[in-house]
Amino acid sequence: MASETIPAPFTVPAMLTRMWLALRRFPTSAKVGAVLLLLVVFGVVFAPLLTPDDPMALGTPFQTFDWTHPMGTDDIGRDVFARVLYGGRISLTVGLFSALIAVGLGLFVGLASGFSGGLVDEALMRVTEMFQIVPRLLVTIVVVTMVGGSIANVIFVIGILAWPPTARIIRSQVIVVRHEEFISAAILSGASYWRLVFRHILPNVLPFLLVSASMQVASAILSEAALSFLGLGDPSLPSWGQMLQQSQGFLRQAWWMSVFPGLALAITILALNLLGDGTSSKLPGAHK
Amino acid sequence: MAVALLRLLAKRFLIAVPLIFAVVTLTFVLIRLAPGDPAYILAGDAPSEEFLAQVRHTYGLDQSMWNQYIAFLSKAVFGDFGTSIFYKKPVFEIILDRFPATLLLTCASMTVASVLGVAFGVLAASRPGSRTDTGITVLSLVGYSIPTFWIGQLLILAFTLQFKWLPGGGMVSPRRNYEGLAWWSDVALHLILPAAAMALFLLTMIARFTRTAMVDALGRDFVTVAKAKGASERRVLWAHAFRVAVTTTITVMGLEFGAVLVGAVLVETIFSWPGVGRLFYDAISKRDFPLLTGSFIFTAVIVVMVNALTDIACAALDPRLRK
Repeated sequence: MASETIPAPFTVPAMLTRMWLALRRFPTSAKVGAVLLLLVVFGVVFAPLLTPDDPMALGTPFQTFDWTHPMGTDDIGRDVFARVLYGGRISLTVGLFSALIAVGLGLFVGLASGFSGGLVDEALMRVTEMFQIVPRLLVTIVVVTMVGGSIANVIFVIGILAWPPTARIIRSQVIVVRHEEFISAAILSGASYWRLVFRHILPNVLPFLLVSASMQVASAILSEAALSFLGLGDPSLPSWGQMLQQSQGFLRQAWWMSVFPGLALAITILALNLLGDGTSSKLPGAHK
Repeated sequence: MAVALLRLLAKRFLIAVPLIFAVVTLTFVLIRLAPGDPAYILAGDAPSEEFLAQVRHTYGLDQSMWNQYIAFLSKAVFGDFGTSIFYKKPVFEIILDRFPATLLLTCASMTVASVLGVAFGVLAASRPGSRTDTGITVLSLVGYSIPTFWIGQLLILAFTLQFKWLPGGGMVSPRRNYEGLAWWSDVALHLILPAAAMALFLLTMIARFTRTAMVDALGRDFVTVAKAKGASERRVLWAHAFRVAVTTTITVMGLEFGAVLVGAVLVETIFSWPGVGRLFYDAISKRDFPLLTGSFIFTAVIVVMVNALTDIACAALDPRLRK
């Protein structure tokens, strides 16, 4: 068995080895997604090391690319490469925090709904259904227009509207787990309600939660980009959606203003979808 | 069958009515929640004192919150969403004026998406694990990840600016007073790019879900029976397996219809298509709140209705769903 080659547990190399072994079993699509995502995160986090340019500094407009401006400059001479790197910070921040809110709410509703059953379940599922019918992005757009597009507002509004898909997945898994024998055993041994939920149910739905989270991040990034594209984001911060809005007026002069931020956005979303999709095919009960 | 369908209709009605009610209530709360005096929001920038007082009176802002809510609700029920600040016309009138353009765009893109989506989905499922299957699965994941507004810009860059094949903006050519058939073919030419941009997302969704449903259906006993009886491959695929998988396709179309309409906001903005989506964008950028909330309620009602209709269509097609 491979376990003999694993060094003693709880040391850093041991954990890395185990993570590596777990990762190796994932399908190619998830691996490609992980690599792409790492690239994007690296570029965005280390933006100051990768480009000397300030994303807001003005210069000669509509320059095609050379070594100083690898992606050219925009209509007021800002470096597109720097803006793509720094712009990703908004996308990733909004994606991460909105998804945290959505996944947290979804987990709570899903656990409550699936574990309680009966009237609570019925009521929560009706509300979830309602949330899913009305187009989420439309509500997000209307709410952000009305309350203003600060980054905190955008994160909060996207997050608070996005929980239903997570809630549904968690609920269905809780219902599956609830009828397992180890739950009955835990109940018989006198486990409290919260112990039951956190020690016995939660670990079993965790993989589904992670898959749902990666889809949630993708969808939040897309929502943020759409909001910025419609001019609803914070105008003082560069973001991919905002760059695409600005490029709309200059498609004739500068195709690179549209192509590069869009590419960054599409690669990020593709990476997250590949990761979520590939991982979900490894979950119990997955379709082939 | 009729009784079961009626029961379903009643059930859908019981979801749809509170939902529309919730949308209208949310809109009311939002108007109150927005920073500043709602009178200013409704009256637009720099109104005179007189006009403000008039707005307060017309919208009943000088009355109690509860009365305001009732008034808002009863007006909305009859399609009275107030007067647009920018266009100075009743909101409902403007929306109805713009709706045919959006309907045309939506129908065109949904037709393209469903025909191609089903074709790709069935093709992929007919040879699971083959290169065609993998290719279609990968492509649909890629297509699903491309933002609608970016693909719109790419289409303009390629087909309008580079190759100069297709118009990339508007619904008709300016300064050409086409009539009859010439007008329609001009519109059709302008329709191609926006419809393609809007179709991409739905197409990939339909392909993915149709494939899964087809793989599932092809593994069932009735397919084995059909094959054993000597039915041709085409007949097995379409008359037996797809007959079952079609409800999944329709459900996806119904569920994603809302997303398609939101896509219309983005696509109509990019292609200057004179529909409700473009109107939505105008309302956002001009902070025309009556127009915004009116278009929102209108769109939400349509989405809810289409959703109910797809459920009923599925039940009509599949007896198992008539419970």
